[in-house]
Amino acid sequence: MSIIVANGLTQWFGPEVALEFVDLAIDSGEHVAVLGENGAGKTTLLRILATAARPTSGRLQIMGLDALKERRRLRQRIGYVAHNPGLYPALSAAENLEFFCTLQGVSRTCAAETLDAVGLGSVANRPAGLLSRGMQQRLAIGRAILHNPKLLVLDEPDASLGSDAADLLATVMAERTVVFATHDHALANRLCQRTLILRHGRSVGTATRLHVVR
Amino acid sequence: MTNSFAVALAVARKDLRAEWRTRELVPALAQFVILALVIANFGFQIDARNAPSIAPGILWLALVFAGLVAFGRAFAAEREQASLEALLMTPASPVAIFAGKALAATLLLVGCEAVLLPALTLFFGTPLSVQVVAAVLVATIGMASLGCLFAAMVARVRARELLLPLLTLPLWIPFIVAGGQAVQVAMGASGSYDQAMALLVDFDILFVVLTSLAARFVLDE
Repeated sequence: MSIIVANGLTQWFGPEVALEFVDLAIDSGEHVAVLGENGAGKTTLLRILATAARPTSGRLQIMGLDALKERRRLRQRIGYVAHNPGLYPALSAAENLEFFCTLQGVSRTCAAETLDAVGLGSVANRPAGLLSRGMQQRLAIGRAILHNPKLLVLDEPDASLGSDAADLLATVMAERTVVFATHDHALANRLCQRTLILRHGRSVGTATRLHVVR
Repeated sequence: MTNSFAVALAVARKDLRAEWRTRELVPALAQFVILALVIANFGFQIDARNAPSIAPGILWLALVFAGLVAFGRAFAAEREQASLEALLMTPASPVAIFAGKALAATLLLVGCEAVLLPALTLFFGTPLSVQVVAAVLVATIGMASLGCLFAAMVARVRARELLLPLLTLPLWIPFIVAGGQAVQVAMGASGSYDQAMALLVDFDILFVVLTSLAARFVLDE
């Protein structure tokens, strides 16, 4: 069953087209990597899929709901890691997650469990502004899975993560539908069943693991 | 679904906690209002006779500019940290998020008023009465709701420092007129204090309701 069905997604920024007639169907539990050069439209596509942006035209259904009309309902079921971690530097790692627990309507005890899950249990009380870039990225990933979403949308989540990035991502991606943008073809091949390739805002095809390796 | 009241309190607590740790805004605002009073003290020939008519004007001028800074920072900090999107990507109501931001900004401005009002008495010898404090606090509520709405609106615009006063100041005029009158009467001038306060409360209700309705569209779109 398709969890995401997109038809003709198009996004204009002034006179520039960032995404042009992209069609997409992603099945439940499927992991799809979005590949492409800088400016190919990966972030634009992911922001639309995460309901953070509205497309100029096109239709998008996520989990059977109209993603353009039911954004708040869908946000309970979507976890999104944006390009920038977007943390509160004066708050500790634990306080950052506890704050988002309240906003997500989940118990604050989820914060401690999630910090352990992303390997930040030992720095829970350190201000987020004093964490390394990799740790901040882990914290942003933790924030995205706090409410146990069915769909994860990850924009270059491997950026700044250490050598164990693939292991961490494999753990958080397990049993979820995932769309993630990356420049790392090997990582995409290891973690995803399918890839979508964008060029100048257009989908130029999809490929299975073997095609990407080739 | 999330509890809107809990969300608003969490947002306000988060902002106040961040301010307590960084001490970016309140010390700067307190310094600003003291400097404004020092300049006014040299700029005007104020004596016991004309103080009740001039001091309220100085009070509202200092408060208006301190408010612009305080409310502007409410959303500017979220923009600089790129955290506004993460905030809005939760299922929490945008109105609750806005209420929390406005509550925190209001409390920060009240902190600044706690410095401004005694300093006004010190510099100009005007009475610091319950009526003066009440008029300033009631006006702060409506000014905060409007200031935060426009701060949210311009947060993603390049010329936000210019746009915020241009949008906010005209709509703050009713608060300055009614608040100015209430403070003048409380300081000894003739007029009706109750009438001015009733007007301030009416403006508060009107603008709090209007900004709450508009906040959803401003933050979510």
